Amino acid sequence: MTLPLRRRGQLFASHGLTLAMALILFALVAAPLITIAIQTLQPSSGAQAWGDVLASRLSPNLFWRPAANTMLIGLSVAAGCVLLGGFLAWLVVMTDVPGRAAIGFMATLPFMIPSFATALAWGSVFRNGRVGGGGGLLEGLGFAIPDWLSWGILPTILVLIAHYYALAFTVIAAALAAVNGDLIEAAQMTGASRKRILFGIVLPVVTPAIIAGGSLAFAGAVSNFAAPALLGLPVRMQTLSTRLFGMIEIGQTERGFVLAILLICISAVFLGIGNRILSGRRSFATIGGKGAKPRRFALGGGKSLLAVLAWSICFLTTVLPIFLLLAASFAPSSLALFSNWTLHYWIGTSDPAFARGQPGIFHNPQLISALTTTLTLGVVVAFTANLLGILIAVALTRHKVPVLSSLVSQLSFLPMLLPGIAFAAAYIALYGAPIGPLPALYGTKLLLALALTAAMLPFAVQTGRATVAQISGDIDEAARMTGAGFFRRLRAITIPLAARGLVAGLLISFVNIIGDLAITILLFTPTSPLLAVLSYSYASDGFHQFANAVTLVILVISMFATGAATLLRGRRRENIA
Amino acid sequence: MISLNQVTKSFAGTNAVHDVSFSVSQGAFLVLLGPSGCGKSTMLRMLAGLEQPTGGQIRFGDTLVADGGSGFTIPPAKRDTGLVFQSYALWPHMTVAGNIEWPLKVAKLSNDERRARIKEAMEMLGIAQLANRYPGEVSGGQQQRVALARMIAPRPNVMLFDEPLSNLDATLRVEMRVELLRVHAATGATSVYVTHDQVEAMTMATHVAVMNRGRIEQFDAPERLLAEPASAFVAGFVGTPPANLIPIADGKWFGAIADPSLPGLRGYAMVRAEEIAVTDEPGPRTLQVRLAEIVPMAGRRLVTGIVNDIRITAIADGAARLPLGLRFRLPDAPAAFFDTEGNRIS
Ligand SMILES: Nc1ncnc2c1ncn2[C@@H]1O[C@H](COP(=O)(O)OP(=O)(O)O)[C@@H](O)[C@H]1O
Ligand SMILES: [Mg+2]
Repeated sequence: MTLPLRRRGQLFASHGLTLAMALILFALVAAPLITIAIQTLQPSSGAQAWGDVLASRLSPNLFWRPAANTMLIGLSVAAGCVLLGGFLAWLVVMTDVPGRAAIGFMATLPFMIPSFATALAWGSVFRNGRVGGGGGLLEGLGFAIPDWLSWGILPTILVLIAHYYALAFTVIAAALAAVNGDLIEAAQMTGASRKRILFGIVLPVVTPAIIAGGSLAFAGAVSNFAAPALLGLPVRMQTLSTRLFGMIEIGQTERGFVLAILLICISAVFLGIGNRILSGRRSFATIGGKGAKPRRFALGGGKSLLAVLAWSICFLTTVLPIFLLLAASFAPSSLALFSNWTLHYWIGTSDPAFARGQPGIFHNPQLISALTTTLTLGVVVAFTANLLGILIAVALTRHKVPVLSSLVSQLSFLPMLLPGIAFAAAYIALYGAPIGPLPALYGTKLLLALALTAAMLPFAVQTGRATVAQISGDIDEAARMTGAGFFRRLRAITIPLAARGLVAGLLISFVNIIGDLAITILLFTPTSPLLAVLSYSYASDGFHQFANAVTLVILVISMFATGAATLLRGRRRENIA
Repeated sequence: MISLNQVTKSFAGTNAVHDVSFSVSQGAFLVLLGPSGCGKSTMLRMLAGLEQPTGGQIRFGDTLVADGGSGFTIPPAKRDTGLVFQSYALWPHMTVAGNIEWPLKVAKLSNDERRARIKEAMEMLGIAQLANRYPGEVSGGQQQRVALARMIAPRPNVMLFDEPLSNLDATLRVEMRVELLRVHAATGATSVYVTHDQVEAMTMATHVAVMNRGRIEQFDAPERLLAEPASAFVAGFVGTPPANLIPIADGKWFGAIADPSLPGLRGYAMVRAEEIAVTDEPGPRTLQVRLAEIVPMAGRRLVTGIVNDIRITAIADGAARLPLGLRFRLPDAPAAFFDTEGNRIS
């Protein structure tokens, strides 16, 4: 009796695991995408929707103008992020600017602040009264704020740069840190000026990282929903993601699906171009060798100026937005952020004379329910995604099966390339209607959990791969010699050895989930929304203080989780600075 | 000509290079030899101008290039020097020809002149066929040649090398030694070559500076290092195999075998391997040893035995069988004698 069982276990461990992962990934990633494609290819309704979106009286409004906005935002944000992130990376890695380590740490933080927080903070300063809900700090001080600074494309671009430059910084700083100091000294020996060394040697050598950082920022910006929704919708500036949201919200799902496919295509084309440039060049191979001591340029005269600049960038994108949100959550009038502070928006009870009778967020039963839903969802999804991540990593490294393995690898990486809101639309396409005996999942927490799990997979698989790589094949084989089964080895050997990295990975997934708006805005359950959705709906109803307060709750939770992850990782920061 | 006068370099209070003075004539091949961390690279980088001495002066010919006292320094590019890095430091985004050309461009040489120099340098190193490849696409030995070509194309007067062969395998290393000497002879430049490999020093140098803990232990021609080592450190560092240093206490070998040729001495006696006889008979100055290893070498054998936890190497002829009870017979008098600090006494 035991023998066949064990044999079945061995078989499972060698092929079954890969197969099981392939099936799960098919259901989580491939099936929704296939369904959304098929639905828009239905002869009647599908063709109609494509026609409406691409070639009709409506199409400039439905697609072309939002697409142009999306492209403009994507390209500007990519350029801005590379400039800002590259500049800070250069300062931190290659120069003797004071406070390098701290700048390096601060510059990675903005990515942990949800983009709707930055967008709300922008509003609290630059909003003008044009669309109701009162003006912001500057208008309160008597400045007339023009629309282009309050609303629309410019604020959206700036807010997204402030959010995504951290990504470009991380990638470029890692590349700069890997540049062999000898390369630069060899150039110094020739008598080349510092500028010539920067543009002739350093920049070309890190071009791959610059392209990668730019592509990531582009992909993030075109799929972002929160910033254009909060800053653009009030003045009818639409991007593909807000348009897609609008279509689904008003029940024109077919058109929404078409927009989702187009958004995926635009994002994919640009990521593909970046990839093409990288893989097409022979010159990017780095060559190893000893003697890779980092060398720093002495900044000399401009030192303090550059330091002030760097510190300002970090301050403006991390501390200041949080501080503004905090002030704005206390101030009854958005025009005077620092007067008549009250705790009403946090803990006040309903008062008809105040905020149209809305109670403070901690007296709002919706908030309490949103808080528990968000936390539960965050924990459950983080665990599920990372468990899958480890299993997939094990399947990929230990049990290579031709074709199937590469399918698993590519499917698990795919969500990384998919704009969240388009991915959510694909989930509606597949699970919105009953499948055979299974009921429709639209509007259930299960659907939301599935979509978020799929979206977290690329990161979770990366964590899983790092975990598995940490444990060399030898260690696992030594355990296998003792006759321990697969799951026993995982539990007794693999997981204990990799616990720190794993927990850090879990925490980062958790932070990403609770700050997500792009997926949750389409899939949330109306009866129990999530914190991010609650904040968004407060903001779109003009209750900015409440929106800010809820956002701060998310931020506080995120900061604790991020701080814990940073402590667990320990060395990561030093690698960059 | 390169001359150093009391050159010192300290990093945060500790001296990496301490009070170094020497001079070599134009066209010399100077090797800085010493164990890892002894300050060789720091010396070389001060010659290149990448590092500024904290004390003393460096002169190329009659020109002062660096003065630690006043902080005066001539920047690297104006010193007419070229440097080959241990990692080669080839710029990965430029082709082989591009790598050689870039320094010439920076020096504002004309198009024709650049092309001529590139051709000349590539032909001298035999890499003309690699011109359009990228550094990542050529082998380690070829990368080394590219780095050399890049260094010689601007025709520097002083060529500096920092352990250039340490990343190559043994066969290539021997080949590149010859190549380097050929380039040195063809250019007529003065070379300063850093290595921790005493074989490289012995085979290539006209002058060797043996360094230890930031100081120069001995500055001499290679054969003089073998014949007249100035310190126990030098005696134990150079030579294949290096000489044996046998502890002497109260005028006795190993503190046990009294010898009238060591009247009351304390310190270390230098005994070369070829001065020790391998025997099986007891006798004066003869000790029983425990066999550690035998290395065949050029028809003879290096026999290493252990006495009092000290390894002693002797040379035995190839044919004879080694006796079962192995004994080493020491010479009548040591070739040199060092005090307990390692200073040469006789
Ligand atoms: N930039 C530096 N800062 C501080 N200490 C240094 C620096 N460069 C070298 N050192 C120290 O100086 C000593 C000599 O180093 P180096 O010249 O590189 O030795 P070698 O090349 O002989 O191995 C070492 O102890 C090293 O740690
Ligand atoms: Mg060195």
